[in-house]
Amino acid sequence: MRTLGEYLRLYFIIEAQYIKARMQYRADFIISSFGMFFTSLVTLSVFWVIFDSVPDLAGWSLMEMVFIYAFYMLAISPMQILFDHFWQLRFHIQQGTFLKYYFRPLNMMFYYISEMFDLKGLIQLAAGTILLVYSATQLSVEWTITRILLLLLTLFSASLVQISMTVSAACAAFWVIDSYPVLGLAWKLREFSPYPMTIFDGAFRFAFTYIIPIGFVAFYPSQLFLRPSEVTPLIYFSPLIGVGLFALTYWIWTKGVNSYTGTGS
Amino acid sequence: MRKYLAVLRGTAMVGMVYRFGYFFAILGNLLYIGIVYFLWKSIYQGRDTLRGLTFNETMVYIALGSTVFFMLKTYSDWIIHYEIREGIIATYLIKPMDFQLYALFAVLGSTVMNIFAISIPTILFMIFFLKISIATGVGLVLFPLSFMFAMVISFCIDFFVGLMGFYSESVWGISSVKEIVLMFLSGALIPLQFFPEAVRNILFWLPFQAIFHTPLMMVTKPDSGLGTFIPMLAVQAFWTIALIVLTRLFYNQAIKVLRISGG
Amino acid sequence: MSLIQTKDLSKHFKILNRREGLTGAFKDLFSGDFRTVKAVDGISFDIDAGEIVGYIGPNGAGKSTTIKMMTGILKPTDGTLLINGHVPYTNRIQQAQIMGVVFGQRTQLWWDLPVIESFKILKEIYKVDQKTFDQHMGMFNELVGLKVLYSQQARTLSLGQRMLCDITASFLHNPQVVFLDEPTIGLDISVKAKIRSVIKELNRERNTTIILTTHDLGDVEALCQRIIIIDKGKILYDGDIKKVNALFGAYRTIKVQIDGFNENTLALLRNKLTERFGKEHGIVVAETEEFWTDVTIDQARTPLSDVLGFVMSNFSVSDVRIVEISMENVVQQVYDGALG
Repeated sequence: MRTLGEYLRLYFIIEAQYIKARMQYRADFIISSFGMFFTSLVTLSVFWVIFDSVPDLAGWSLMEMVFIYAFYMLAISPMQILFDHFWQLRFHIQQGTFLKYYFRPLNMMFYYISEMFDLKGLIQLAAGTILLVYSATQLSVEWTITRILLLLLTLFSASLVQISMTVSAACAAFWVIDSYPVLGLAWKLREFSPYPMTIFDGAFRFAFTYIIPIGFVAFYPSQLFLRPSEVTPLIYFSPLIGVGLFALTYWIWTKGVNSYTGTGS
Repeated sequence: MRKYLAVLRGTAMVGMVYRFGYFFAILGNLLYIGIVYFLWKSIYQGRDTLRGLTFNETMVYIALGSTVFFMLKTYSDWIIHYEIREGIIATYLIKPMDFQLYALFAVLGSTVMNIFAISIPTILFMIFFLKISIATGVGLVLFPLSFMFAMVISFCIDFFVGLMGFYSESVWGISSVKEIVLMFLSGALIPLQFFPEAVRNILFWLPFQAIFHTPLMMVTKPDSGLGTFIPMLAVQAFWTIALIVLTRLFYNQAIKVLRISGG
Repeated sequence: MSLIQTKDLSKHFKILNRREGLTGAFKDLFSGDFRTVKAVDGISFDIDAGEIVGYIGPNGAGKSTTIKMMTGILKPTDGTLLINGHVPYTNRIQQAQIMGVVFGQRTQLWWDLPVIESFKILKEIYKVDQKTFDQHMGMFNELVGLKVLYSQQARTLSLGQRMLCDITASFLHNPQVVFLDEPTIGLDISVKAKIRSVIKELNRERNTTIILTTHDLGDVEALCQRIIIIDKGKILYDGDIKKVNALFGAYRTIKVQIDGFNENTLALLRNKLTERFGKEHGIVVAETEEFWTDVTIDQARTPLSDVLGFVMSNFSVSDVRIVEISMENVVQQVYDGALG
């Protein structure tokens, strides 16, 4: 069995080669990066248009919304950069090329994600960082060591929540031929993470906090820094939530891997 | 004509096979509407109207908007791009069919399925459970025509993006930009009434709102009268023809290059 | 102890019975109608280290299913399967260290990377030390001329080059057993020959056990000492290739297009052949393709030219093809007891 260290080293070696190869496709990199940048820009514009008509959204100002959105961008970046290969899973499964992942003495999920490293996600990471710093400054957020650590911790948990949702949805490909709508559903859900949970009442808020916790992707963590007094105590459990969800996701993946028979006889 | 209808039937049947997709699509649609409901309720907090629209009107607009969006959603840009990159397009050029028409009918097949399997259930749900009422008026009569224009315009744009496959490996970037611009400027994300006046005037002439805003207006405010609708239909008609011509030119150019240099 | 041991190994699948047409597809949405397919049905064999075994059979026979069980992908429904003393399914990562797999035409090299980088990554994955790595790469270069391909991306290689790379890559970590699935499919004669000699040499040098699944009887003839024939999930034959070789070499199929072919033609042809060549002619007449009648003969018993001449003088023949025996015919012959 390999140690975590060995896997990290192997990952580094593989990705170094992968990035080198991808850099040859300069046009693709530029276009994709622009696309990523532009998409974020337009989404921000949506906020701008809404706030042009109303001064606040459920009590949250424009700049606060920008902060939450920035946090959201940072939280979804690891998924984008590291786990992007999962969007191809249904093709590999249908065409039978998924078989090759069984043949190496490697953890299959590791092997699978190591084949793709999404460079344009780095743009998202950079943009998110800039936006976070900018909005935090505008809102005069105080940064202590504790808060910075808290930020990193909640970002880590938030990204795990996001990864879990998307990967679980992608795993539907093991049992359903057209799993794209499931992925689409997961995608739609996460589109609403940058909005304040306070806009939801009753059943929805419950669902988004306890069942499909998109609230932990951006909103609840942001409260820690923007409105510390309104924070829900659950937020301190977010690492548990993140890790727990990922464990569940890994279980689903394992079930899928074990049930796959490949095409042909 | 029959062979194209066979193509349509083909993709429709494929839709039947991939049945799970529809359950999730309907679910996704309803979820989206639910979330949008809360979002806009908050935006409207304590206000009766915004930019001339009541909460109910905005709600109907967005709910139906997402439904229409789904009816029109095609992946032709991805599919065509893929077929070009993988050289599959060669197999179509051999067949006695026009590739563009083929692609259009293939898309229509899945659109028909989408309408029956997703849109209609969603609309029924909205009418009976969310008690959203749809007014009547001349708009409803004009809707099918408007929808057809919208369909062709949307397809042409997708086809255009797909044709980029002749020149670039990358489809994600262009497609995403197209998608988000489309959603934003067509009124699918936010009712166009919320945009500043100046922006709105420019948008009226662009093809984007011809895709969503126009057919949507016919359903949400069908009693606006012919005076409002005829100009909108005219713009739609214009863009339909213009885009068909444009994509045709691009297509012929690209094919010429393909035939000469072997792809 | 044999390297590979199987006993009463079985794999069953549950398949949904699909109905035709648009309404049928609609009904399928609510169907609970399944049937059980016995892809592998109680097979048993032992394979020792160093053997090269041809695992052959028609499409749908259960070959891939068996291989998938041996490589730890599928869990057997019944029976025992041990490789190197371990159960493949529960020890996938561990077993992968001692196995090499070349599965169909899907390359296992990294598509966008130069070939040498793929090998280097494999070196890390399989924890091959530098000395062994250099040694092996040197040997591959001698055998196959790999060095010239080092800097090329896998995606730019021809099918033959890719196959050679995939095969040598599968031996890099000195596995105990290598599974080769259709290693020469789609390749021209010279590349096929090269691949066969590489496999032979590697087996000789390293005593690697090789399980070869293929439709190409040329592969089987060139490489295998032992053959296992599987059909409909069951083993038809397991033994020396020499016995089966007799089948391959001698049999030919004459395909003729007979004018005015009707439902009586086959019977008429059979009767005439019996008249001419006697009851023990061993000639099989069948219609396997539309418009074509297959006349399969055992050259040891009846010369090809005699049969061909006879058919052509007794029937109005518009076209003739002569082909070597196909996999399907081999299996058919074995079924009919050709090997006793």
